[in-house]
Amino acid sequence: MGPTDTKEKYYRHLRKGLFSAFFIFILVPTIFVSWVTLHNLRQSAIQRIEMFGVRMAEERSDAIRQYLDQQIQILSTLSGMYPVKVMGNQDHLDRLFRAVNERGHVVDLLVVDAKGTQLSYVGPHRAAVEGKNYKEAEWFNDVLIGGKHVSDVFLGYRNIPHLVVAVTDPLKTYVIRATINSETFNALLHQAQMGYSGDAIIVNPEGNFQTPSLQGVKELTSAERELLVHHEGTNSRVMDSFLYTTRWIKEGQWLLIIKFKVRESLGSFNERRDNSLMIIAAATIIFMFSAVLLCRYMVGKLERSDRRRADMDQQMIQVEKMASVGRLAAGIAHEINNPLQMITNQAGWIEELLPDEDPALVKNFDEYRDAVSKIKFHVIRAGTITHRLLGFSRRMTTEKECIRVNELIEETISFVENEALSHKIIIERELDENLPTTMSDGPQVQQVFLNILNNGLDAVDHDGKITVSTRADDTSIYIEFSDTGPGISPEVMKQIFDPFFTTKEPGKGTGLGMSICYDIMKKLGGKIDVNNKKTGGAIFTITLPLRKMGEPGHEGEGTFGYEGSIS
Amino acid sequence: MALFNVLVVDDEQEFRDMTIKRLIKRDIIAEGVESGELAIERIKHGDIDVVLLDVKMPGMGGVAALREIKQIKPLIEVVMLTGHASVESGIDGMKLGAFDYLMKPMEFESLHEKLCEAYERKKIQQNKIEQAQIKHDMFFFPG
Repeated sequence: MGPTDTKEKYYRHLRKGLFSAFFIFILVPTIFVSWVTLHNLRQSAIQRIEMFGVRMAEERSDAIRQYLDQQIQILSTLSGMYPVKVMGNQDHLDRLFRAVNERGHVVDLLVVDAKGTQLSYVGPHRAAVEGKNYKEAEWFNDVLIGGKHVSDVFLGYRNIPHLVVAVTDPLKTYVIRATINSETFNALLHQAQMGYSGDAIIVNPEGNFQTPSLQGVKELTSAERELLVHHEGTNSRVMDSFLYTTRWIKEGQWLLIIKFKVRESLGSFNERRDNSLMIIAAATIIFMFSAVLLCRYMVGKLERSDRRRADMDQQMIQVEKMASVGRLAAGIAHEINNPLQMITNQAGWIEELLPDEDPALVKNFDEYRDAVSKIKFHVIRAGTITHRLLGFSRRMTTEKECIRVNELIEETISFVENEALSHKIIIERELDENLPTTMSDGPQVQQVFLNILNNGLDAVDHDGKITVSTRADDTSIYIEFSDTGPGISPEVMKQIFDPFFTTKEPGKGTGLGMSICYDIMKKLGGKIDVNNKKTGGAIFTITLPLRKMGEPGHEGEGTFGYEGSIS
Repeated sequence: MALFNVLVVDDEQEFRDMTIKRLIKRDIIAEGVESGELAIERIKHGDIDVVLLDVKMPGMGGVAALREIKQIKPLIEVVMLTGHASVESGIDGMKLGAFDYLMKPMEFESLHEKLCEAYERKKIQQNKIEQAQIKHDMFFFPG
């Protein structure tokens, strides 16, 4: 089990490694390039938003300036037209108010003389301003010096935010002040389209809001306060996923801030990015899938070829082992033959001399004669063994020869008969007397017979029968080995010809026997079939092609045991 | 059984001696030498009918000896003795004109029979030649 585990691990590693290589060398660059492309797309989209923001800031600031200028213009016109006497007249101011306030964006009008005393007032808060003196008010002094004043938004006496525009007449005899409806002013700003999370506000250099935020915030964040730096023209910068466009207006007294949420403003980009991401994702999935398949296929192929090579190596080892055993056997047989010859000769000599003796004088004459004939008998037996050993060694060279299957079977049975007898197993022969001869490799065929017989003996164990029968038709010779063993289970049947498959205890079988038999028969153009008999026990059928001398053999290609191996 | 001369050529003295003893017991005139070279010397000087020749010997091998013997005295019949591993040499020998080959270990009976058969053939061959000689003589020296 150990080596198999290690191998499994090795192939698993290999698969992982290959897959990682695919991943790193192809997928990672793809993802990187996609990311860079998308990033660039996003940058150019942001640039477009910036340009849009700048244009909007300029438009808004122009509109605000125009609006404020317009208010100053109206008041300047009025102050130029009417002297302080007329303007100080409450009725006159009422008429003027109605004339200038057709659109309703002027909340009130106030006329103050050069000393700061209130002369007349039109508006909702008459009581609050009645008789008030504005001499100390900052805006009042500002107007007297500069001729005009536009205030920050302040709460004033009425406790609601409003914006004040004031001018003085050319002779500086009085000051006329208008309070402008903040909402009208705000509407100018908020006409701009800034998306769901966008905002447009005006702050003074201290950061106080001059117009309400669309998002309802009351003050700038600490990061946003950094924008309160005087600069020329229009600036834009990206902070915290917002794009800020800023422009100082009203001679540097107010800062217009327009902000967009970058992501919301990237509509078309987002769409394009989503499409690209989907394509990349689909491609990635397809690629991963094919990479996995490819890795599996390649590693599987490698595994099979490795296994085949290992099988072949094992078989070569087996073959070499057999060959060296064969050489050893041949050497021993050869050395033993000479002494055997001497023993026969000596025994024969005694046998020849015995008749010269007078049986009456030699006490154990018959015993001597018996002993000599027994010696001769056993020498013949020993001779048969050495012949067989020499035959075994010659098996290692593959040759085509004319073989008599019945004789091969007889010889093979003689190898195992003693073992069979000791286990009370009868080997029965049902051999076809008229079996034709065929061209094949006798020793190899015999090896197959021997293997099957040995397996049969192991299967039967004891007290049973193995029947060997032969028959032939026009094309083939069939040799059947049936036994009275337990038969072959379906699991074993599936693997019976696999190399290294064995049912024997560890160390008792290499698991190569049947696989080698399969290879040999394939090489010789025949085959082995295994079946279970209905009456119990297994039956092996060997089919050997019938070939006449000189007929070209249909041998399996390739080297021994390689191409023929079962995969 | 007619008397005839057998030369046993084998490097193993025990085998040689025993074979000679047993042949003599069967009324065959047998003698032995231990090498191919000695066998050739012996043949040149004496009247040998059949040679029992071991294939595997030190010095001149059996096959080489056979070749020489057949050159010197083509009529002499040779029976080769081989081990299992040197069957091919026996077959080579037969191609070179040996009568037959025997594989060790063998029964003495078969050896004896083989030698007798060899001698029979030698006799037949010799007769044929003698007949031819007589015809030849009658033709050239009639009367």
